[in-house]
Amino acid sequence: MSEETGKPAWVSCEASGPRDRRNQRRMLGASLVWVLAFLGATLVIKKELLAAGPLLWGVAAIPGVLGVAVVLAYGRFLQETDELERLIQLQALALGFGGGLFAIYAYWMFQRLGAPALDLPGATVIMIGLYMLGVVLGRRRYR
Amino acid sequence: MKNRLKVLRAERDWTQASLANELEVSRQTVNAIETGKYDPSLPLAFKLARLFGQPIEDIFNDCEES
Repeated sequence: MSEETGKPAWVSCEASGPRDRRNQRRMLGASLVWVLAFLGATLVIKKELLAAGPLLWGVAAIPGVLGVAVVLAYGRFLQETDELERLIQLQALALGFGGGLFAIYAYWMFQRLGAPALDLPGATVIMIGLYMLGVVLGRRRYR
Repeated sequence: MKNRLKVLRAERDWTQASLANELEVSRQTVNAIETGKYDPSLPLAFKLARLFGQPIEDIFNDCEES
C-alpha cells in the first residue's frame, strides 16, 4: 500500500503527473487510430473492396505508417516520464520482447510435436501479455 | 544503497508527494528511494543534495565505507 494514499501503488497511476497523463493520452489516441486503420485495411482486403493495384497496396501500408506514430508517442512518453517509471517500462519491455521471443520459440517446439499452431495474433498476445506482467511486477517491486 | 531521505524529509515535515513535486518525479520514486529499493540517478541525487543543502555523501551511503 502507498504510504499516503492507501492505494496499491502497482495498480494506480497516482504517480503520473500532467506530463505523463498527456503523453499517455497521445499514446492511447495513436493506438486507437492504428487499431481502426488495421481493422479498416483488413476489411478492405478481405472483402475485396478495392481492385488489386497500387491503391490496395497503399491501403495495406497505412497501418504500418501509423504504427510509427504509436512508437514515437511511446518513445516520447519514455523520454519524458520520471526515471523510476522509465526503469519499470524498460524492464517490462525486456520481459515482453525477450521473454516473449523465447516463449514463442519454445512453443514452436511443442507445435512440431503436435500442439495447435501459434499464429501471429497469438504470438502478439504472448508478447503484450508478458510486457503487461512486467509493468505489474515492476510496480509491485518498487512500490 | 542506504540513505537518510526519510529522516531529512520528516525533519522538514514534508510529505512524499510534496518532495516528489519539488524534485519533479513521482511519489512512487521518492518512496522507492526511501525504502532502498531504487537508487536515484546522479542528476536526481544532486537535486536532492541541493534541496536539502547537504553533500550527496551525507544523504547516501554506499554501505562499503568502514
